[in-house]
Amino acid sequence: MNIQSREEGGYAIVEFDGDVDLSCSPEVRKFLLRCLAEKQNLLVDLSKVSYIDSSGVACLVEGYQTAKNKKLKFGLIGVSEAAMSVLHLARLDKVFPIHASVAACLQKDG
Amino acid sequence: MKHENVYSLFENVTELTLEKQLALLADISQRFASSLNITETLHNTIQQLLVYMDAEAASIFLLENGDTELVCKECAGPVYIKGLRLQASHGIVGKTVKTRTCQMVRDVSKDPDFYHSVDVDTGFNTRSILCAPLIVQGECIGAIELINKKGGELFEDRDRHFLMALASAAALAIHIAEMAVALVEQERMRKELELAREIQLNLLPAADDTQFPVQGLNVPALEVSGDFYDFFRRDDGLIYFNLADVSGKGMNAAMLMAKASSLLHHLAKKMDDPGELLARVNDEICETVSHGMFITIVSGFIDVNQDTIRFTNAGHQPPLLHHRNGDFEEFPANAPPMGILPGTEFPVTTIPLHHGSLYIFTDGVTESLGANDETLDVAGLIRLIRANSRQTSCKRLKNIVAEIHKPGISQHDDITMMLIEYRPDE
Repeated sequence: MNIQSREEGGYAIVEFDGDVDLSCSPEVRKFLLRCLAEKQNLLVDLSKVSYIDSSGVACLVEGYQTAKNKKLKFGLIGVSEAAMSVLHLARLDKVFPIHASVAACLQKDG
Repeated sequence: MKHENVYSLFENVTELTLEKQLALLADISQRFASSLNITETLHNTIQQLLVYMDAEAASIFLLENGDTELVCKECAGPVYIKGLRLQASHGIVGKTVKTRTCQMVRDVSKDPDFYHSVDVDTGFNTRSILCAPLIVQGECIGAIELINKKGGELFEDRDRHFLMALASAAALAIHIAEMAVALVEQERMRKELELAREIQLNLLPAADDTQFPVQGLNVPALEVSGDFYDFFRRDDGLIYFNLADVSGKGMNAAMLMAKASSLLHHLAKKMDDPGELLARVNDEICETVSHGMFITIVSGFIDVNQDTIRFTNAGHQPPLLHHRNGDFEEFPANAPPMGILPGTEFPVTTIPLHHGSLYIFTDGVTESLGANDETLDVAGLIRLIRANSRQTSCKRLKNIVAEIHKPGISQHDDITMMLIEYRPDE
């Protein structure tokens, strides 16, 4: 799994590529929490995620909860079919703000 | 020095001295070999070394903190420096470790590498130093240092040779002792995990009644499990059941499992609505849960007399109902997992069993790998259910889990499964 990040429209955009599972979830967690510690609004791009297990989902949940406590924005963008099936199965698609793209998120923010 | 052999090490030594040196070396090596208590071994060694080498002080430094610091682990002489920490590059000891060669400094006042601070702090007067690296398996782990030959004499080549021979044995002994400590720690952890697993097993319902309408099985991937299940008959005849999967694995998942399981077991004796029960437990869990951990769960009540099962599915794998006519029906989650959002509502689904069988399971079942590395999936589980459909519920569950959990095939996740089935005469 690879992690890339950039900034756009007041958000840190973090992109994961490949399998997000127990082998890399500590790294994913650290990365997301570091962005939030720097008081950055966060969008997680899951468009290139081929598989995500419960430890990976837990990283997203913790990111979402941490952002909420810090009054920061958190969302998912371009969720791949593989990741969406996991989120939908657990009804987490009703928990996370999900956007088609960064542009769609920024448009919604107004 | 690397081309010197054992004979050249002692070429300038008188026969008597050589005899004494070999005897001491044999004695110290024997002590190293016979004790795994590194503190005791190092203490005895350094005392003996001090006497034999006629040195005023001796110490053993080991690298720590990612090899950035040298820490004095044992010392002998007028100044107690055990616990002293130096930057790995400081002093003659630092140079010894860095160059991995023995340093013999006959007049420290002329050596720019000499680190004066220790003398300044302790009032000791260092004149000469002999320091040998501790090397094991090609890796330098520290150094052994002698300070000031007694009577104003200087360290000789024979001292250097002897210290180097001793350092090799010491390095190996330290390495073995460290491995022994790690093994003891590993064994302690294993025993604690065993105990945790035993406590956890006690949280699962006893499997002593094979006729009970609910049967369950759990095979943990690690010593402790993040999965749990529970069922019991209440005083009013209703049967409470749950099966859940805590995100993550290991001890933290097991601890959250213990909390959730206990809360559910306690509250399910008093509450009748499965949705309200989960809402209450969810709020409790949300107050303390950390690291984004959550619990997917199917939880509900069975009324055998009315033939109804009322349950909620919070983010869990869809339970599978095997109808009497052979069809299968899934019941997907209608709420997110517990532990994420306080105030979550958990809708209730009510179904009759109509002599069918309800299978509830974790993803460890459907994601288990077969011999050809393909996941079982729901389709594979249905095949196993059909293949065992003539067995009693207890036997069927055991057969299915035995098919999934085959020896020799690595198990990545906990395997937990529950079967609800009752007949009119039960």
